[in-house]
Amino acid sequence: MTEKAEKWRLLEDWRRLVPAAGGLAVDDLLAYSISDFGSPPILHLYTFEPAAIVGKYQDIHAALKLDRCRERGVAFNRRSTGGGTVIMGPDVVALGFGISLRDKRIGSGVGGVFRVMSGVLVRALERLGVSASFRPKNDLEVAGKKLAGLSASAEVGDCVLFHASILVDFDVNLMLDIMNTPAQKIYDKGYSCFSERLTTIRKETHRDVTMDEAIHAIRSSFEESFGIRFVQSELTPPEREKAADLEKGRYCDEHWIFSHRHPPSNMGEALVKTPGGLLQVYLSTAGHAIDQVIITGDFFSTTEQLNRLESALKWTLAEPDRILQAIREVWEPDLIYGVSPEALRDAIVAAKTVCDKAQGPPYSDRAPHGRA
Amino acid sequence: MELEGYVLPDELYYHEEHSWARIEKDGTVTVGMNDFFQKEAGDIVFVDMPEVDEEVEQGEVCGKIQSRKWIGKLCTPLSGEIFEINEELEDEVTLVNTDPYGAGWIFKMKAANLEEEKANLYHGESVGPWISEEIAKAEEEKAKSS
Repeated sequence: MTEKAEKWRLLEDWRRLVPAAGGLAVDDLLAYSISDFGSPPILHLYTFEPAAIVGKYQDIHAALKLDRCRERGVAFNRRSTGGGTVIMGPDVVALGFGISLRDKRIGSGVGGVFRVMSGVLVRALERLGVSASFRPKNDLEVAGKKLAGLSASAEVGDCVLFHASILVDFDVNLMLDIMNTPAQKIYDKGYSCFSERLTTIRKETHRDVTMDEAIHAIRSSFEESFGIRFVQSELTPPEREKAADLEKGRYCDEHWIFSHRHPPSNMGEALVKTPGGLLQVYLSTAGHAIDQVIITGDFFSTTEQLNRLESALKWTLAEPDRILQAIREVWEPDLIYGVSPEALRDAIVAAKTVCDKAQGPPYSDRAPHGRA
Repeated sequence: MELEGYVLPDELYYHEEHSWARIEKDGTVTVGMNDFFQKEAGDIVFVDMPEVDEEVEQGEVCGKIQSRKWIGKLCTPLSGEIFEINEELEDEVTLVNTDPYGAGWIFKMKAANLEEEKANLYHGESVGPWISEEIAKAEEEKAKSS
């Protein structure tokens, strides 16, 4: 790359563990830096102190066992981008990226951001010897197992904040101990259930990939993909002031962390007999949409196929026709041997019925709150 | 007007971020998100609405709309004071998808500078070229993704 290449800013903070509130505040600052302070695009790469981070419109009480978080010294907070809970820590790369949507290199609209950014991260993983691909709706996977989660939010002006969490290594037991999952009742099977659905860079490469290597691969992939060069950067005094405001006014504020601005969350399960065997569906819903779904049973299928189905169903409206449509989008003959798409739909609808019956207080009983 | 499957009623005024404004007979304004937005966003999971009595300026982000893992902006098409929000969306947010110009409205406002600000919105003949460009960009992106 020539010296004339366009220069973007790089904020690296991974040689220490960053407290959740501080890290998230700097991520939010990125869009302001571009919109209000005239900065070029900024990449923020860092590692968190152990922390469970929920999506902006998630019910934190439904998502996390807050007592267990406190007992284990795991911080909890709420990010400003969407999606579900992520467990961050020393072996997970946290990535925040701010860019103007007017930049043609980021593609057009929602689809463009995810297409371009997943491409950059897939190429970063290739550098480490991991062959990953984008799994709609918002994950990177290796053979059906999730390795990274992506989310984004349209922030100030025409800027977008893109978030990713990339697993270099991961503690499934910690996740099961602090997170509520729809498969809570199969906790004894939980470890295998989730370890079959997740993978890490170290697992895929069969070697002890360092954070330094992972960060370097991501940085290089950005430079090559966008045709730019990064300049190591620090926050300017006005940026530091803005980040401190965001940290105090948002990420250290209980109104933000325990925000009631979210659709009601519920969990349910269903057990259905089919010609292919027993079909068990564990479901959590966010309002009318599917938040998480876990499909298990004594039928014949592969983890990869099941994970693909589960991903296709996430954030789908939990209505019979929409569920069937999502299933058919990824369905292949005998995907679950002896089970039809309609039987699977019916099992999910049955689990949804249980969710509906478990509904908590009416939405209108929400506590007062401020919006950020 | 219907263009390539997207419905954009002629009587409405449209902001470039895809909110619409209907000027009611009593001079108040009803606001929602247009058909292009709801089709591109897909299933809406949550609308983070503004507060009643909030004063907003044209183009200001006064709320957020979550679909999948994306959180999009709700930009007010006009300046003024919000006097009602659609509480039905708290229980039936899918109305933004199923009935974007009817029961899926988001808030009502008293416009502060209606005549002057209308000129900044798409209306009548200007809607076609603008939405065609938006459709072309979306199609181009879908082609790259496939």
